[in-house]
Amino acid sequence: MTEPRGSTRFVVIVILLGLAMAVLVGRLAYLHLGGGDNSQATAAKKRTFTQTLTVPRGRILEGSPAAGILALNVGVKDIWVDPSLLITSNRVGTTLTCLAPLIPMDMPDVLSRVNKSNSQYAVIARYISAEKADAVAKLKLPGVHTSDSSIRSYPQNMLLCHVLGFANSEGVGSSGLELSMEKLLKGSPGLIESRLDGRRREMVERRTLEIPSKSGADVVLTIDQNLQYILEKSIDSAMERNRAKAAFAIMERVQTGEILAMVSRPGFDPNKFREAKDQQKLNRAIGYVYEPGSTFKVSVIAAALNEGIVTPDQIFDTENGRWLYMGKVLRDYHSYPKLSVADILKKSSNIGAAKIAIMLGDARMDRYLRSFGIGSKLGLDLPGEEGGILSPVLKWSAISSSRIAIGQGVAVTGLQMLGILCAIANDGALMKPYLVKEVIADDGTVLLRRQPQVISRPIRPETAALMRRLLARVCEEGGTGIKARVDGFSVGGKTGTAQKPIAGHYSETDYMASFVGFLPADKPEIGMIIVFDEPQPLHTGGAVSAPVFGEVAEQAVRYLGLTPTETVAPMSRTVRPDAGPGETF
Amino acid sequence: MMAKKNRKKGQAKFPVPVPLVAFLLVMVGFALVYVCLHSRTETLGREIRGLEASRDRLRDQLVREQCEWAKMQSPSSLEQALKSHGLVMTWPGRDQIVRVRYDGSLDTLHGGYESRPSARVARNNRIVMND
Repeated sequence: MTEPRGSTRFVVIVILLGLAMAVLVGRLAYLHLGGGDNSQATAAKKRTFTQTLTVPRGRILEGSPAAGILALNVGVKDIWVDPSLLITSNRVGTTLTCLAPLIPMDMPDVLSRVNKSNSQYAVIARYISAEKADAVAKLKLPGVHTSDSSIRSYPQNMLLCHVLGFANSEGVGSSGLELSMEKLLKGSPGLIESRLDGRRREMVERRTLEIPSKSGADVVLTIDQNLQYILEKSIDSAMERNRAKAAFAIMERVQTGEILAMVSRPGFDPNKFREAKDQQKLNRAIGYVYEPGSTFKVSVIAAALNEGIVTPDQIFDTENGRWLYMGKVLRDYHSYPKLSVADILKKSSNIGAAKIAIMLGDARMDRYLRSFGIGSKLGLDLPGEEGGILSPVLKWSAISSSRIAIGQGVAVTGLQMLGILCAIANDGALMKPYLVKEVIADDGTVLLRRQPQVISRPIRPETAALMRRLLARVCEEGGTGIKARVDGFSVGGKTGTAQKPIAGHYSETDYMASFVGFLPADKPEIGMIIVFDEPQPLHTGGAVSAPVFGEVAEQAVRYLGLTPTETVAPMSRTVRPDAGPGETF
Repeated sequence: MMAKKNRKKGQAKFPVPVPLVAFLLVMVGFALVYVCLHSRTETLGREIRGLEASRDRLRDQLVREQCEWAKMQSPSSLEQALKSHGLVMTWPGRDQIVRVRYDGSLDTLHGGYESRPSARVARNNRIVMND
């Protein structure tokens, strides 16, 4: 009797198991044959893994053989917490207490972000070093996580701040070269599409798409960080000594237009760009226009010599320092009865320069000035360059040329003023200034290589050579720029002390003191402009800016390995024995 | 009389057809190879992932070191380091500089002095050659 009952039970069990198996097989077949499209899609979505590969921004390197790094992206970590988890487990206080000694936190701010029970993501510290992040990870605090991030770092801090500019928190260039070279610096991010396993780890063997990221290109500058440092240090020291409100300076290689150093003060630390004020961020060397004063006489005298209207020996009546022209009085700082053209430049006579400008005529003067790059941008590869102010010649009044000749009624940038002197130093060819020497891709391909470019040739090479000799006299005994001299080198240059126009009048107390020059005068290699805004108590270009030029140039020629030269052959004409060093407006 | 059927002989015969067994064995073989390959691929995948992570970590470390090196190389850091060691550096005076001019007489076999690698390195590094 038991045997048939047992076999029946066995058959029932087998049938039930068979049915169960059949259901499972049926379900499996249903899912595999596409019966559960939605479920498949949901599952696939959950298991699909897409990761954007962030790409480091390109570096900015200086132009010396050392190729020092001026800007680069550094990997950092962000620390974030899961507020809902911390609140439900009542661990907010203990978690933050554990983290406080390791990472800098603004506790009230952090608490306001963490006390949100419906949130699952709150960043409590950004840009933490990998070491600190590791220390946090070792604590194994529930609900505390780290994520990768990167930050733009400027290892030299304030050095070259205005040229470099800065990239914002999102890694986008916002000023300076970071902005102008954005397209080349940013690179292109990569992409990975793959599958996740049960533990939500990527299954590399199931990668369906892998587009490698392309790092940003390296930008190599013409700037030499050592020359930059020498210039910045001298400017900072002179600013403090002369209690100047602001200052700027540029050093340029005259034959190519390469910018070797560029300083603007006040400056800022690009690592802390959020703390910088607008005044600090302004690159005055290219973005600030000012009336240049006597340094501008160079352009007018060069034009007149080039036209053959005057000769260096030609004597002008300088009216004993006071000249009434068209109902307006023009004065010299030091009075002279008569001066040659060479001495008008050396003594910086306003009256002499004005008379030469009148002889030149408005139209020709305008043409020469524009050919020297006044009134338009020179095209430097930095954002924020100004073109200066030179009114159309038709709008000039009867006395305009006499005032423009002495650097009033015209506004220039430091770069433009330096351009005039560098053109004279470069046999009359005005070079396009540039800061970026080359751009090199991650794989070593040269994407961009700059070549020197001539913008215009305002004067002939013979006129330029003559002007160099005249400008060298400015830095000799009796000249206004004697403090710019460098032992073993002849220096050519011009001082300028310009009254600042304030509320429609020229200030009697606020000046722009400048010196612009080049050396060696007979075979120029470098040109430099030094400008101080409202220096006190000394306020003349010869007393404030020329010594800084000399100090910087002395170190620069040694650093660049320039061979000392013989002094430029003196002009045939001798200087009047009663003439003393003078300074004019 | 008919010979008696040998039941024992009939029971000893393999009940499953040999081709089926062979087919199953091949399938099992394939399955094992698949499992092995899959396992190996997974292992390699994990290794790749690990190496990628390691590469990223090293790259980050390199960048951090480059950043530190750039800071140490900066003129201001060098100046501070000199100051901290009580060293004062000045530019040489004119009488301390000996300038050797190249007169062209060495321009013989391989493009002359300027073509020598050591000369190029010296020029680039702005150092005085004594070789």
